[in-house]
Amino acid sequence: MLDGILQLDGLGTIRGMVETRVRRIVAALVIAISPIWVIAAFAQTPAPKPPAAADWAAIAKLPDFTGVWELSFGGGRGGGRGAAPGGPPQGPQLTAAAIAKRKQLQSEAREDNQTANCLPPGMPGIMGQPYPMEFLMTPGLVTIVIEAYTQVRHIYTDGRALPSDPDLKFHGTSVGRWEGDTLVVETVGFSPLTEIAANVPHGDKMRIVERFRLADPDTMTIQTTVADPDVLTAPYTSTRTLKRHRTWTIAEYICEENNRNFVDQNGKAGINLNQAGTPAK
Amino acid sequence: MTRAMLKLLTATSAAVLISGATIAAHHSFAAFSMQGEKTISGTVKQFDWTNPHTWIWVNVPNEQGVVETWAIEGMSPNFLGRRGWTKSTLKAGDKISVVIRPMRDGSKGGMFVRATLAEGKVLLQTGEPTEP
Repeated sequence: MLDGILQLDGLGTIRGMVETRVRRIVAALVIAISPIWVIAAFAQTPAPKPPAAADWAAIAKLPDFTGVWELSFGGGRGGGRGAAPGGPPQGPQLTAAAIAKRKQLQSEAREDNQTANCLPPGMPGIMGQPYPMEFLMTPGLVTIVIEAYTQVRHIYTDGRALPSDPDLKFHGTSVGRWEGDTLVVETVGFSPLTEIAANVPHGDKMRIVERFRLADPDTMTIQTTVADPDVLTAPYTSTRTLKRHRTWTIAEYICEENNRNFVDQNGKAGINLNQAGTPAK
Repeated sequence: MTRAMLKLLTATSAAVLISGATIAAHHSFAAFSMQGEKTISGTVKQFDWTNPHTWIWVNVPNEQGVVETWAIEGMSPNFLGRRGWTKSTLKAGDKISVVIRPMRDGSKGGMFVRATLAEGKVLLQTGEPTEP
């Protein structure tokens, strides 16, 4: 290549260009068959650095979410907040297509959903269960251990971007960032087996933004905004309040342990009262 | 506000509660007669301290004197364990009187409402959790 640049006059220039091209082709072939290149092609993200002492020290400066929390049933159980006093009830506004879909599902009069068969509700319903959740904070990651149905959410706070073509999952794929004292979590890519609310399935473009913050050391608020242009005419925001329970631990919840409830494919709910098969004592 | 506007508002907003917490997190009440109430009295045969629900199996003599076993669904051990219950709250042989929401299909079972034990102790499954 150096030859090609230096021989810029007469025949020398042409010879140099031809030699340079040949060398480039050879170099490209060598790179193409190199094992290093093969490895690089599969490496989607650079290997993470092992956390250093400074990474752990940085966590100590963040608001302390660690520990066990449960929804406070005295308030914040879904529903819109921030409505003007005396104003109309603030609720999610459905698109015409979503209203039609809801009517169709209501006409089928399904008596229950798949949680009766132990399928977890997924997002956003999993965050509204009458069971506690444990928050863990480690470098680059906030983990939420959810007692109900024994579920886990991973919120990556290492600066990675959301996937452009995510796999569809019950809890989607979440990344988080700190805005002052607030952990802002964006989630995309939800399984079609989850729904926004009863008889309101979500669309492909549903996106959920959650803002976690401490109102005081033992009170957490989660402001949840669901945006779904196919289903909601505008993003819908609700706020929940959780109380910290410093003495609690997360208990085991294996839904299949002794589940007698079921819903069949026609939406008919039932209970198996046959004592045979009940856990031995 | 006109009747039509009210109807539209109801159809599009108020009835939709996004992912609100409900006590019946795991399943609906469809199998139970929620307006019905029935009291059954007998002897605890077995107490399943299991997820997703506890089950109290109660032996109850019917009008012919034949013992029938009733199945009573309760809240989970996780939920009850934070409200004073333990796996030993009920034991085989305990005399019990239980108020239930009976099964809609008439089978011998129902959902727990409250129970009274022989010594008059009343058991409930609701209320705020108790901090240990």
